[in-house]
Amino acid sequence: MSEEMMNEQEQPMRERRYMARPKICQFCADKNIEMNYKNIDLLRRFVTEEGKIRPRRQTGTCARHQRALAREIKRARQIALLPFTAEHWGDYR
Amino acid sequence: MRDYEVVAIFQPDLDEASLNSNIEKIKSWISDSGGSIEKVDLWGKRRLAYPIRKQLDGIYVLFKIQMAPAFTNELDRNLRFLEPVMRFMIAVLDE
Repeated sequence: MSEEMMNEQEQPMRERRYMARPKICQFCADKNIEMNYKNIDLLRRFVTEEGKIRPRRQTGTCARHQRALAREIKRARQIALLPFTAEHWGDYR
Repeated sequence: MRDYEVVAIFQPDLDEASLNSNIEKIKSWISDSGGSIEKVDLWGKRRLAYPIRKQLDGIYVLFKIQMAPAFTNELDRNLRFLEPVMRFMIAVLDE
């Protein structure tokens, strides 16, 4: 009896642990999102605090849009809209 | 002819008159090559994400243009020799 109780308690635990978070690519879900190097507020959400591009496993972006995103982030970096790294300021700040 | 976007960052201490004359210069290069200018968007002074030429700010100007792909090389070289332009980027507009 008590063993059954244990099993029942364990079951949902395990299920929760293995539950895959549904990942939907934001750009596939909403085709109207304008992804380009000028939309810095959008791109900023896809880079870490130190300026690195966030991996797909963190953002849930699909492979195709991740490629496009990487291209636009790199463009934005070229014209100083986004930082290459967080430590670029040095003495200037 | 293809659609391009050119972003140029001018030095922040540039005065209005010389900024305009430089913008006109870039526009004339493009139109002389047979291209056309759709829009010139002056974003104004912006903080840079990292210093360029020891400057913290820059005056951003966006050109939406049509030009022959072969002209990109020449435009690139011309912009490189334009002194007040700290940084520029020529990007193809796809979609």
